[in-house]
Amino acid sequence: MIRVINALLAIVGGVGGALLVFYVLNKLVEMLPQKWEERLKPYAFILPAVAAIGVFLIYPAVRTIILSFANSTSTAWVGMKNYTDLLSSSDFRITLVNTLLWIAVVPAVVVALGLAIATLADRLGSQGEKLTKSSIFLPMAISGVGAATIWRFVYETRPAGETQIGLQNAIWTAFGFDPVAWLQVDTLRLNTFLLMIILIWAQVGFSMVLLSAAVKGVPIDTIEAARIDGANERQIFFRVTVPQIWGTVITVFITVLITVLKAFDIVFVMTNGNFNTDIIAVRFFNELFRNGDNGRASAIVVMLMIAVLPVVIYQVRHFRAEEAAR
Amino acid sequence: MRWRRLFQGIVVAAVAMLFASACLSESGGGGGSSGESGSGDKQVEIMFGFGGDQSKGFKGAMAKFEQSSGIKIKYTDASQSFDTLIRPRVQGNNPPDIALFPQPGLMLDFAKQGKLQDLSGLIDVEKLKSTLVPGVLDAGSLDGKPYGVIISMNVKSLVWYPKKAFAAKGYKIPTTIAELEALTNQIKADGTTPWCVGMESAAATGWVATDWIEDFVLRYGGPQKYDQWVKHEIPFTDPVVKQAASEFEKLALADGNVYGGRKGVVSNNFGTAMNPMFQDPPKCFLHKQGNFITQKGFITESVRQDLDNQVGVFQLPGVDANTKPLLGGGDLAAAFSKDDDTKKTMEYITSPTFKFENIAAATWLSPHKNFDVSVYPNKTTQDIAKLAYGSTVFRFDGSDSMPGAVGAGSFWKGMTAWVSGQKNLDEALKSIDESWPS
Repeated sequence: MIRVINALLAIVGGVGGALLVFYVLNKLVEMLPQKWEERLKPYAFILPAVAAIGVFLIYPAVRTIILSFANSTSTAWVGMKNYTDLLSSSDFRITLVNTLLWIAVVPAVVVALGLAIATLADRLGSQGEKLTKSSIFLPMAISGVGAATIWRFVYETRPAGETQIGLQNAIWTAFGFDPVAWLQVDTLRLNTFLLMIILIWAQVGFSMVLLSAAVKGVPIDTIEAARIDGANERQIFFRVTVPQIWGTVITVFITVLITVLKAFDIVFVMTNGNFNTDIIAVRFFNELFRNGDNGRASAIVVMLMIAVLPVVIYQVRHFRAEEAAR
Repeated sequence: MRWRRLFQGIVVAAVAMLFASACLSESGGGGGSSGESGSGDKQVEIMFGFGGDQSKGFKGAMAKFEQSSGIKIKYTDASQSFDTLIRPRVQGNNPPDIALFPQPGLMLDFAKQGKLQDLSGLIDVEKLKSTLVPGVLDAGSLDGKPYGVIISMNVKSLVWYPKKAFAAKGYKIPTTIAELEALTNQIKADGTTPWCVGMESAAATGWVATDWIEDFVLRYGGPQKYDQWVKHEIPFTDPVVKQAASEFEKLALADGNVYGGRKGVVSNNFGTAMNPMFQDPPKCFLHKQGNFITQKGFITESVRQDLDNQVGVFQLPGVDANTKPLLGGGDLAAAFSKDDDTKKTMEYITSPTFKFENIAAATWLSPHKNFDVSVYPNKTTQDIAKLAYGSTVFRFDGSDSMPGAVGAGSFWKGMTAWVSGQKNLDEALKSIDESWPS
């Protein structure tokens, strides 16, 4: 009960406080002479947002870049040492390769699967479509830690001869094979792919919902026109439907890509980066909170930031181009 | 255009401000030592890092002391995160009178900074030394001066076995490492995998293997070499560490020696790894784990109810039958103040008769050799205590004394990678050695 009241107070206080700030700023600006009022009014309204971004985003980012050139306790400069140490360690190179694999595989698979399900479900009856979509969307509602816990059971291993409580090993042993400790198999990065499946499982629903809406928004007359011109189904899909929903495809792709770059919970819960499955966010967490090394942790984040930059720039450009075309 | 310029201005201003003001903070200011706080006000503040049943057991013991001495104890429970809670108190020159440190690392840091009282100014250290298990006082000493002493001990160098099945097969308890190897081979020849080993412990996976390595470094290298290794005076790639790891591999990881195979070791949870031992017929006969494993939630519940009849325990043997090294841990009591109340309290908690209340639930062991073992709740605990009190040398769990980046980081991860086959032993030891903070 007290929690509910607290939450309500927080909402009222937060929204009310924000209103009050803008009200006071507005009043202050209105006290100025007419000419200045007009000049300053836009700034008065944008100032709190810019200040918040400055304090919570730009300041920490700059500070992180600075600390990445300092030692583990941030008490002395070490130049590029954090970067050279990291990049010359074989563990960290494995971490980078894994992160690149995640980037290369997960967004593409999520978009492809989402699009396939959206298109196929479109052809089902309305009951069938609802059921399919709901069940595929459900994992979206599960937290990363929850999903990882569920999948731990799927990949669970027991010694040969005991009842396999893990789904995958239960099926595997039913075919007469010996149980396999799946998460330890790093041949061809199998364990990393097994971890990716979890994120894909959780994200396909999101991709499906957005793409399904886009598919349904494709004007029916363009498809009919293509059909009259003698196009087959595949040609219609790739040459008529996909070009018209390309904007949504890009948006979904980039959103999932950013989710992948931030992915942490799944790997942390499943393997904590052991067995060559480490990714950059888990490595960062371990450097900062387990090893207490501010310098290396900052260096890792700076590298991550640099890696994300092209994606962000592309997204902003794409967004601008779409706006301009409208 | 105007916007862009304004934005650039803000960024430039922010960066300039950072460079001007922030740069790098100085390391913690060098205030004077805490000196003799506490002023005979008949109150002693004790800060501790354990919770639950242990906390209850400790408070129960102190309640008796409060009655007899008239000193009031103020408890500061820091079980959430002992290190992060005590550090600011000490740096702000407002330390508790007495702190019970779960590990010696931070305690010795404070001793180095001159924040802690030399125990010899508080209690009769020679008398204390004569009753403690040899080596217990070393764990809390810096440059030969004692600062902290264990008041609640736990023991790691234990090997458990299923009592009845073990006797039925006619197996003998080994007294040397060579005999342990022979026993392992004998069990294997009889058609059972000798060992059960489980290392999985979520984000802490790997600590079980570090215990094995520590135990064997202590055995092959002796306490001096062990201390050098823990302080990184000899590298992780030293032959003695390699010898220790190879012994672990030979005994418990080799093909056919471990239930579930080597790959199973890493995915097997440490808390339940022992339980296949109690199936009929046993799936393994030997399991190395600390004394905590008999607590509720770890060992099979039906076995726990009948512990004394079902479970046997012996100390991991030494190189010869006369050396009995003991790896363990415990809470170390150290004092920040020096008044009479603190002295009396320290005398009480370090005395050979001091004990926690409700020992059964608190799994508490006294570090004093002459402690009356009949006080312990069951025969298994009494056996463990006798083994501990007969030990020739005690050493604190080394990974707890190493810097966190190694002891709770690369050592765990390195061992996990080695056991599961991602790295060979040399690579693993080299990567651990390189991770040691300079």
